[in-house]
Amino acid sequence: MKTIISVVVLLAASALAGDVAGTWTGTFKASGGDHTVPQVVILKQDGNKLTGSAGPQVQEQYPIENGKVDGDHVTFELTSGEWRFSYDLRLAAKDEMKGDLALKSINNSRTATVSLKRTKRD
Amino acid sequence: MRKIILQVHLLVALIAGAFIAVLGATGSVIAFEPELDRLTHAHLSYVSPSGRVLTLQEIGDAVSRKSGGEPIVAYLLSESPDISWEVVLPRGIASVNQYTGEVLGVRTRGQSALGFARELHVRLASGDAGRNIAKWSGVATLISVTSGLYLWWPAKRMRIRGFRRNRSFWFELHNSAGIFLLVPLFVLAATGAVIGFEDQASRLLGKLNRPHTIRSGETATSPRTMPCAAEITTDQAVAIARAQMPGAVLYRVQMPRYGGAYRVSLDDPQDRVAGARNLMVIDRCSGDVISSSRSSDLLLAERILAANEAIHTGEVLGMPSRILACLTSVAVPVQVISGLLLWLRRRKIMPTAERGGVV
Repeated sequence: MKTIISVVVLLAASALAGDVAGTWTGTFKASGGDHTVPQVVILKQDGNKLTGSAGPQVQEQYPIENGKVDGDHVTFELTSGEWRFSYDLRLAAKDEMKGDLALKSINNSRTATVSLKRTKRD
Repeated sequence: MRKIILQVHLLVALIAGAFIAVLGATGSVIAFEPELDRLTHAHLSYVSPSGRVLTLQEIGDAVSRKSGGEPIVAYLLSESPDISWEVVLPRGIASVNQYTGEVLGVRTRGQSALGFARELHVRLASGDAGRNIAKWSGVATLISVTSGLYLWWPAKRMRIRGFRRNRSFWFELHNSAGIFLLVPLFVLAATGAVIGFEDQASRLLGKLNRPHTIRSGETATSPRTMPCAAEITTDQAVAIARAQMPGAVLYRVQMPRYGGAYRVSLDDPQDRVAGARNLMVIDRCSGDVISSSRSSDLLLAERILAANEAIHTGEVLGMPSRILACLTSVAVPVQVISGLLLWLRRRKIMPTAERGGVV
C-alpha cells in the first residue's frame, strides 16, 4: 500500500512539475553591482528532479546540484569558484524564467535578480 | 570668496559627512582584511613549516577522505609558508596543513563582520542606492579636501597643543590631521571615485586602447566536454602552467569538473599592479594550453584601472602603502567628527555676524 501511495505521489508531483528542460540564456545583476553577468543554463529534467549545468558561457559550465521543479517553481544550486549560487526562479511564461539568486562566499553574501529565456528545447 | 568656500565645505560635510565617515572607518578595516580574517580564524590559518610540501593530489586525497568524497572545486595556495592552504568544496572551504595533510577545519559560506565592513565600504550595505551614495561620497570627499586646503592656507596651522576640552583643540586637530594627510586623503578619495564610476571611466579610457586583437596565447579552442581516455593530474596541469610563466607564483587551481578545464592562476611578483591577473586554461585530457591571459597583455585602459585599484587598496607599494591607506582612512571619521564639533561649538559661542568668517 505504501509503495502504491508513493508511486501515486511521485506521478502527481511529476505531472505538476513544469517543463523546463533545454538551454536557457540571460543575465543576472547583483544588487549594488555595476554589471549584468551573462548566464547559460542547460537543464535536464527527470520528473521534478533537475540536473545539468550553468555558467557564464557554454564553454564554462558548472554542475547543478539539488535541482528541483515544483509546479512553476524552479530551484537549483551550483558552486563557481569560491562562490555558492542558489537560484530561486519561477516560470514567468512557457519559455521565460525570472527570480532571485543568492550568492555566498566566505565572509560575503549578496543577492541578485535573474532573467532567463529558453533558446533551445530538449 | 572665502565665505563661499567655507559654506561649501560645511554643506558637503553636513550632507555627506556621515557616509564619508563610514567609508573611512570601513576602509581602515578592509585595508587589512586578509590579516584580520586570519587573526579571527587563527586555528585554521597558521601552520608550522616542517618537511616537504605535499602535492595537490596528496592534499586533495586527504580532504576527500575527511569530507566523504565531496568533489574538490579549487585549491587556494597561501603566499607564506606558515599560512595554511585552502581547498574549496561545495559545502564550504577546508583549511589544510600543506605539510601533513591534516584538515584543520571547514568554514561555511555566509556574511561575517568583515564581509559586512566590505559591503558597507563598497555599497553601504544597501544595494544600488548605497552604491550610488558611496560613489558620490567619494566626489564629496574630494570637494571637502580641496576646500579644506583653501581654508587652511592663510593661517597654515599645523600643531596641536595637547588635549583640551575646548573648541581650539578640535580646530587644531582638524587643521593638523587634514594637512598632514592631505595628499593620501586626496589620492584615496580620487581613486575611490574612479572605482565608483568605473563604467564611465572604462568608456573614457577605452579611447586610449589600441584596437582589440587576439592576445598572445589566446585561442578559439574551447574546453572539451566529452569524456577522454585518460586525464592529466592536477599537479601535471600546474607544471604545464608554470612552464608558461617561469618565476610566477601559483596561487589558485580550479578543477575541470567546475568550468570544463583546469584554470591555473599565477602571480607575477614583479608586477604589483596586476601581477595576479595571469590565468592559464589547461585541457584536462591533452594538457594543451587552451588559452592564457597574462597581466602583461592588459590593455592600457585595463592597466590604468588596475593601477587605480592598487593605489586605492594600498597594494601598489606593499605593506608601507597599506599602512598609509589604513591610517589615512582612520583619519577620515576623525576629520568628520572634529569638523562637526567645530561647527556645533561655533554655532553656540560665536555671534551670528561672525559665523562664516575665517575658521
